[in-house]
Amino acid sequence: MTAAPGTVVVTGAGLALPGADTPDALLRAPAPAAGPFDTAPRIGHRGHRYKDRATRLALCAALDALRDAALVTGEDAALAVPGVTVGVVGSSNLGNLDTACLTAATIAEESACGLSPMSLPNASSNVIASWVAIRHGLRGPNLMLCNGPTSGLDALHWGATLVSAGRVRRAVVVGVETHNPVVEDLTGAPAAELLDGAAAVVVEDARWARERGARAAAVLGPYERRSGLGPCVAALLPQGPPPGIWFTPERHEEPADAGGPVPATVPRHDLSRAFGRASGALGVLQCAAAVGWLAAGGSGDALLTCGDDTADAVAGLLLRPVTGRGPGPGAPCAVSSVTSAISASSAMESP
Amino acid sequence: MSQLVTGAGAVASVGEGVDEIFRALCAGTSGLHELRGFDQDRYRGRHAYEIDDRPTAGTDVPGRATAWLLRAVEEAVSQAGLGEDLSEVPVLVGTGLRELRSAELAWRDRTGFDIGRLHFGPALHKRFGAVRTHTFAGACSASLYALALGSDLLASGAADAVVVAGVDTLTESMYGLLDRVNSEPPDRVRPFDRSRRGVLMGDGAAAVVLRREEPGAATAALGRLLAVSMNCDARHVTAPDAQGIAEAVHEAQWRAGVKPRDIDLVLLHGTGTQLNDTAEATALADVYGTDVGGPLMTAIKSMTGHTSGGSGLLSLIVALRSLATGQVPPTLHLSEPLPEAAEFRFVREPVSGAGLQLAQVDAFGFGGVNAVAVVERAGR
Repeated sequence: MTAAPGTVVVTGAGLALPGADTPDALLRAPAPAAGPFDTAPRIGHRGHRYKDRATRLALCAALDALRDAALVTGEDAALAVPGVTVGVVGSSNLGNLDTACLTAATIAEESACGLSPMSLPNASSNVIASWVAIRHGLRGPNLMLCNGPTSGLDALHWGATLVSAGRVRRAVVVGVETHNPVVEDLTGAPAAELLDGAAAVVVEDARWARERGARAAAVLGPYERRSGLGPCVAALLPQGPPPGIWFTPERHEEPADAGGPVPATVPRHDLSRAFGRASGALGVLQCAAAVGWLAAGGSGDALLTCGDDTADAVAGLLLRPVTGRGPGPGAPCAVSSVTSAISASSAMESP
Repeated sequence: MSQLVTGAGAVASVGEGVDEIFRALCAGTSGLHELRGFDQDRYRGRHAYEIDDRPTAGTDVPGRATAWLLRAVEEAVSQAGLGEDLSEVPVLVGTGLRELRSAELAWRDRTGFDIGRLHFGPALHKRFGAVRTHTFAGACSASLYALALGSDLLASGAADAVVVAGVDTLTESMYGLLDRVNSEPPDRVRPFDRSRRGVLMGDGAAAVVLRREEPGAATAALGRLLAVSMNCDARHVTAPDAQGIAEAVHEAQWRAGVKPRDIDLVLLHGTGTQLNDTAEATALADVYGTDVGGPLMTAIKSMTGHTSGGSGLLSLIVALRSLATGQVPPTLHLSEPLPEAAEFRFVREPVSGAGLQLAQVDAFGFGGVNAVAVVERAGR
């Protein structure tokens, strides 16, 4: 059984971080002594001199995901579909902190005349999503989520929403964080504890994926943003079988009385322990890992969670296998009749 | 599938609250002033359109953008009768620069700041109990992008009402880098004038409550949202592209089911930079064709400065007030329009008594992110 019409599926995943080249490797401990991820072998040197580290990492992960989804092909990564059918959703909280802070410091030490004009794009927080669109000619809506610890899962939700609403047929969702002295200082965490990497996935309307013969790796299930981990998990899993795997929030501590929201029998993974505190990248990293888990024969739904009880909210998302049960109530994002009508008649859908 | 704006709130250099701001703009009041919080000697330009609320003049403090956002949302939800419990209401915030100004102060001047408050969720949770909060950092079209997404949530049935907001304050990094790239520092924003020299930033926040239209609800509403388009030029990281803008305008009108000749008023993006105004004028001339002399056109950044991520929604609120009252704020400092806008019917003096039904609102940002809204007078 394949994904039903109206569902949003994952058709590609990509990574740019040390110690894991493919999604299934995210569930294993990263290779020891891996150095920082080198972006040059994947995207080259030319044209990237003035891009910040977060943008270069995001370009690497996005390229990997677009290639995995067969949306770009060949040596020059030519786009295989019309650019207006593809949106971009970026997620990062810390990506351009260094540009803002170092620029302000230079102004105080010298003056604005001491600045490089080439830094201007990096002063805007959406520079990551912009460059991904420019590199590949992706002309659909271009979003940048900077939404705190839940940002990566929120980005997946908005990618799916763009697709469900018929704004685009597919979107590449990229989560990225990096570290540098500014990030270390303002987060109070040493570099060794922080992610320097990116993950990306392509979310696509199942109909359009099928039309171009793309393989669906997973189905996006329901998404919730609630106050606290318990209420969020309870909203996602009102009844029925427990998930097959749980990706926990960053540095999640199990309660001593084992009264947590997810049964103790469910295997759990805290990707931030293996790859560093991932902030706005975590949700996308979890999605890529869940795709790897499903590909390796994982059984059941993957529960993705970001944010904890100290944050403004906790976000959760279920990622489901493509084969198996069909969409039931509260299951995969169903395209409503209203938005179907928009899609069907939208000039932007038939460029 | 039409949707109503049932409440609005705003804070800007020219006033506090929608009524005060609209009155000030219609009177041609400008928020232009010498820099209030930065060291003036560090820049070639010396002006901006700031909100004058620092406790000590000349000394900057963190958290100002967050405070304005909360005030704008408070005004909007109060007018909409939504109450102050937003625990079930999505709140979508568009911003160019988040609380990056607070981060600059924390890094450089060791001013205390919790980095977890770079986004606006924690403050909205504390003040309104909001949990479905989303901070979109989409440069200068961010709040109209947020409006489009909020509109899609209503259309899909995922929510009955949404709060959409936009906010930005000057960051020293953005002000300084813009100062660096200007060939000659601007002393004011002069949208569409041949002698325009560039953009100056402004402080501000704006918020609206948007809900699905129900029978009889239109009489109390501020106006009706017909459609919002979103696209991306995917051409250049800072320069705009007339073709991408034209497509966004065309898509908004197509989604709204209107033609260029139906539009009575255009709230221009109009930043006063060489490239932006030329690209916007070229795009509008292309889309409107022989009808380009029809709608009134105005650019409020000549009085508010460029309020970045919040600017689109501030323009939208002004457009709704103009449709309701027949008053249109002028574009200041516009003496000789650029050639591409020669046929435009610019509002150069305050207009009153205009019979207006439909308005278009433009917002474009770095990275080629374009959003265009079409709104209608309520009660039609």
